[in-house]
Amino acid sequence: MTKSITSLACLTALLLAVPTVSRGDSKSSSEQEAKLIAVLKSSATQLEKSDACRELARIGTKGAVAPLAALLNDEKLAHMARYGLEPIPDPAVDEALRAAAAKLKGRLLIGVIGSIGVRRDAKAVDLLADQLKNADTHVMHAAARALGSIGTTAAAKALESVLADTAAPNRLAVSEGLFRCAEALAAHGQRGEALAIYARLNRSEVPEQVREGAAKKVHALRQEEGPRL
Amino acid sequence: MKRNRPLKTNLNRRECLKTAAAAGAACFMPTIVPARALGRSGAVAPSERIVVGAIGIGSRGDYDLNWMLKEADVQFVAICDARKVRREAVKQKIDKHHGNSDCQMYPEMKEFLATRSDIDAILMATGDRWHALASILAMRAGKDVYTEKPSCMTIAEGREVVETARRYGRIYQTGVQRLSEGNFVTAIELARSGRLGQIQTVRAHIAPWDAAEMSHAWLPEEPQPPKEEVDWDAWLGPCPWRPYNSTYVRGGWRNHYDFHTSCIGEWGAHTFAQSQAGINALTTSAVEYHYVHNNSGDGMVAKFANGISMVLSRGDKWWHGSCGMRFEGTDGWVACADAYKAPEASSPSLLADGEKLLADYMERTGRPMNHMRNFLDCVKSREQTVANPDVMHHSMSTVHAANICMWLKRDLKYDPIKEEFNDPEANRLRTRAQREPWIY
Repeated sequence: MTKSITSLACLTALLLAVPTVSRGDSKSSSEQEAKLIAVLKSSATQLEKSDACRELARIGTKGAVAPLAALLNDEKLAHMARYGLEPIPDPAVDEALRAAAAKLKGRLLIGVIGSIGVRRDAKAVDLLADQLKNADTHVMHAAARALGSIGTTAAAKALESVLADTAAPNRLAVSEGLFRCAEALAAHGQRGEALAIYARLNRSEVPEQVREGAAKKVHALRQEEGPRL
Repeated sequence: MKRNRPLKTNLNRRECLKTAAAAGAACFMPTIVPARALGRSGAVAPSERIVVGAIGIGSRGDYDLNWMLKEADVQFVAICDARKVRREAVKQKIDKHHGNSDCQMYPEMKEFLATRSDIDAILMATGDRWHALASILAMRAGKDVYTEKPSCMTIAEGREVVETARRYGRIYQTGVQRLSEGNFVTAIELARSGRLGQIQTVRAHIAPWDAAEMSHAWLPEEPQPPKEEVDWDAWLGPCPWRPYNSTYVRGGWRNHYDFHTSCIGEWGAHTFAQSQAGINALTTSAVEYHYVHNNSGDGMVAKFANGISMVLSRGDKWWHGSCGMRFEGTDGWVACADAYKAPEASSPSLLADGEKLLADYMERTGRPMNHMRNFLDCVKSREQTVANPDVMHHSMSTVHAANICMWLKRDLKYDPIKEEFNDPEANRLRTRAQREPWIY
């Protein structure tokens, strides 16, 4: 038993000791990715698997998605699994995060929702909208912010639909989501929708700093429009 | 300094005064108002005081706290820190300063920010890993923020600080205090004046310890103290989990990738901002980064779109002292570092009217040569500080890009408008997944 543990430790050290591959060296990168995935699937230590996740954040491809996603429900490795997944530019990551969001609760769900928001997965709007009703307010807040990061018209509608009925302590999170939506919509030329969001925030029962920020944005957007003839 | 909006005041106190005044009028008894409440006897009236809370006060934070407590219009009311020993030390200091026992202690940030609507501003001096997220949370909660440098750990964090400050109309200053020190500002203004000719190179000091690549290793695990003593989960915050070791919480977090911005960021958080100020590049970041084959980045050339090169420099070849900068133009050079009695230049004649340069800057900008005072003035006036979010984001993006260049061991190009590299792997390093539940 001791011999096999020592052998595994040596193997893992060797795998993680491979130097960073250079750009364009795709064969080396594939080989390194395979080795890192092997570490994830082994009985390596938490540190060794965390380090593998770090490296996959830099070089991981679609092939790394499933092994990383398998760790999203692992209390000790879920964050590092997201660390590895978030930067991988493949829609398989979004599918994996959505699938995990349907099953997880509590902190792990908050983490997955956060990553969905970072990746701005528009296909997740409905599942995030459902989470706006979650009794766990931390999950609800995370969903509001993630919807804001996605920033589509549908995301904004989901947030606006709950603003009035949301308990006062939760309105700042919904407001934050709406601010993010308005910014994204304005950046995409949908200034009328952005203006409507800001105007609504300005007249809602929300924290003072939200009303102030919204009022300034209304003023700024109207100034950009110029005088009405 | 003109104030455009009323500061939050202690609402209970205001209500009490109203009630007392009404009762006094009904009974035809005069209301006695203490001189301090009217701003007499050298005191600042409550309506003019800035109510401040602190988050994470260690050794540097203690320096900032002492600095802030010298300002008569500051009223400190609370400390939030994951370490009990620090909460108690700060409370003791603040209570002694104000001559009461009113300073409240909070072990946890979210409750602190959610319940203290009376606080106008936050002094933030946690370790680097928390600066961006804690600032974002504080500004979202309606507070203005003075935070220690570096302002962020990644390009994405810096962008979110900028957006949050804009969203909520908050005043924010990063502790890059040399932007408010006379010698440095004189040198910067001389560089900008044209008297050095066309600036071709600026040299920016990077720290003479640690390396650009940092450790991912864990220190040996130690028994975790009770949460009331050290909330290790909160101390780590958004960073990857690792087992507790007391070295981290005693300041030994430097040179760990998760907690630090390397020898480049350690001083670059100051010197890149100083350098970019002198070459009129405060609203942008360097666009080219040339890898150097050493472990620190010493000698790296980072080029700006205006053609000026910033050379990262370790050691004392170009200056004597810390956090140095040197502007080199076609007609001369000027340099400054800590402990200089005055900037040094290629010719004494370049500095003959140094005092006027500084005076003109202060008159033009309205900024005092006191970084903390600049922040407090801006809290009242709602004008931008000298080390405001845009300034800090753009200079820190240069820091982060330089780090990424060293980590990937190759030249990089960066677009400061799109905030993207010409390199997919570099782009992956613009952000890091935050650990739940500390996600902005």
